[in-house]
Amino acid sequence: MMTSYAHPEVLVSTDWVKENLGTPNIKLVEIDVDTKAYEAGHIPGAVGFNWQTQLQDQVRRDIISKEAFEKLVGDAGISPSDTVIVYGDNNNWFAAYGFWLFKIYGHKDVRLMNGGRVKWLNESDKQLVTDVPQPTPVQYKATGPHLEFRAMVPLVFEASKGGWNLVDVRSPDEFTGKVIAPPGMSETAQRGGHIPNAKSIPWSTAVAPDGTFKSANELRSIYIDQKGVDPNKQTIAYCRIGERSSHTWFVLKYLLGLENARNYDGSWTEYGNLVAAPIEKA
Amino acid sequence: MDHTKRVYNDIFEMLPTEENPSPMVRINRLNPNPDFPLFAKLEWMNPFGSVKDRAAWTMLRDLEKRGEINEKRGIVEPTSGNTGISLAAMARARGYHMRAVVPNKVPLEKKLLLKIAGADLDVISDELCPAPGLGDGSINLAKTHAKAQAHRYAMPNQYENEHNVQAHLQTTGPEIWRQTDGRITHLFVSLGTCGTVSGTSKFLKSKNPEIKVIAVQPTEGHDVPGLRNVSQLGVSKLFDSSLVDDILEIEFRLAYARALDLCQNEGLLAGPSSGLIFEGTREIIMRDKKGLGVMIFPDNIFKYTSNMAKHIAGLMSGTQA
Repeated sequence: MMTSYAHPEVLVSTDWVKENLGTPNIKLVEIDVDTKAYEAGHIPGAVGFNWQTQLQDQVRRDIISKEAFEKLVGDAGISPSDTVIVYGDNNNWFAAYGFWLFKIYGHKDVRLMNGGRVKWLNESDKQLVTDVPQPTPVQYKATGPHLEFRAMVPLVFEASKGGWNLVDVRSPDEFTGKVIAPPGMSETAQRGGHIPNAKSIPWSTAVAPDGTFKSANELRSIYIDQKGVDPNKQTIAYCRIGERSSHTWFVLKYLLGLENARNYDGSWTEYGNLVAAPIEKA
Repeated sequence: MDHTKRVYNDIFEMLPTEENPSPMVRINRLNPNPDFPLFAKLEWMNPFGSVKDRAAWTMLRDLEKRGEINEKRGIVEPTSGNTGISLAAMARARGYHMRAVVPNKVPLEKKLLLKIAGADLDVISDELCPAPGLGDGSINLAKTHAKAQAHRYAMPNQYENEHNVQAHLQTTGPEIWRQTDGRITHLFVSLGTCGTVSGTSKFLKSKNPEIKVIAVQPTEGHDVPGLRNVSQLGVSKLFDSSLVDDILEIEFRLAYARALDLCQNEGLLAGPSSGLIFEGTREIIMRDKKGLGVMIFPDNIFKYTSNMAKHIAGLMSGTQA
């Protein structure tokens, strides 16, 4: 039997975005791993957020403050009542992270463009432009932070004792500790391995060859039937710096309907540096 | 054109053809099987320094013929270096601008050569996390430029451009057939865009279906610029498995060790992809016992001294006063 996603309203297609280009209360936001991509070309009207300089607090290690979020989003001309469509490269890694941030600060209607920028890029009827929009700034009033979306260290310790779904979405070599980070990455850790009781389910498991999410049936079969994620338990997804895990968090919470799913944005670059924290290898 | 005198009106007349083939040199000291003569086809003798001269020229000529490029509208291309260097030098010599998008892993020598040849350079951090089906970052960024600024850029796209195969069907294949008097039994190549393997194999198999085509690939997570592991081949639309008899996977570090062997024992200053091919070839000539093998050596070692220093222990020692 075909089942649908638990919350299909958080996903829009590239065709939907094309049909709704220029609609006043629909705002497009591009967030990429490769921050050059937006500059090279983006969907008409889309603003670009830089994950390194605009979504992270530039002094302490944290997400941006509520005030900084209000300023960033307000300056982009986005109001709390707008529909925000986030998309980006690498199958929406940082777009999913941006989606998560919008949720933390209480934005009501935020959605991901299924397939991300690569799908748009490869469709011949979709346009890309280089001109950067100049939105009129608005006053944005955020709510929250809604921390039920976020896992911090004490909760991760709790989860590592068992009885939770702890999902490690990094590559198998990072999970086993063969490597601490993918080659060439500057953010790293003192130790390799994974959090005790974590299951290895690489983020790409959720993605079809065209970059869109797999169907609800496929996702259910992989995550729940094959990998043993229990929908009745609390869930934490983690990776290295919290972007790939945002992608899986999105899948677990909104596509599969695991209501108590959280993203551990500290991820391995926090956990793998903690003194005396238990680690499993292989 | 008189190839015996080797006096040319422009650099393009030097490009390889059946009448002016890239040289083939016999492997002597390093061939372990006397019943299996082996020849290396030295593609670095092409005027822009690599096998990619062939595809670059054929793709560029096609864009010219179709009126796709002019002094305002140049080229953007994703490249691990060699295609970009050939294309940039050719494009600039004919009055077009060129932008090359390269993965960060590409050695510094190649990045500098691209700039020296006149390309604008975009370097992107690629391969953050292995992901089946995920588009390659440099290909996507090049496509973005071509789509967002179609008035400034045409994109040959060597990964999908049939002229990349045609180049080898028209030159590499006929050259090898003629240079071996039709006696070739085994062709050894590496896999990147797969233009070389598809075009050359198609020609040779049309002459003699018994010829075995062996493709050599590095292990996953490798550091051999220009080559692809089979898991990364999804991005190339030019790979045709019916044209390949065997695919060997070779530990990538051996590419560097064998390149060093070729430099130090045969006088062949071969780059790491040639080293990888040579390692795979040695396995096959011991297995198949008799034959005549041709290895396509894509480029020489000069662009890889920094990579050699990284992968050959002790190479750096004694290089400083």
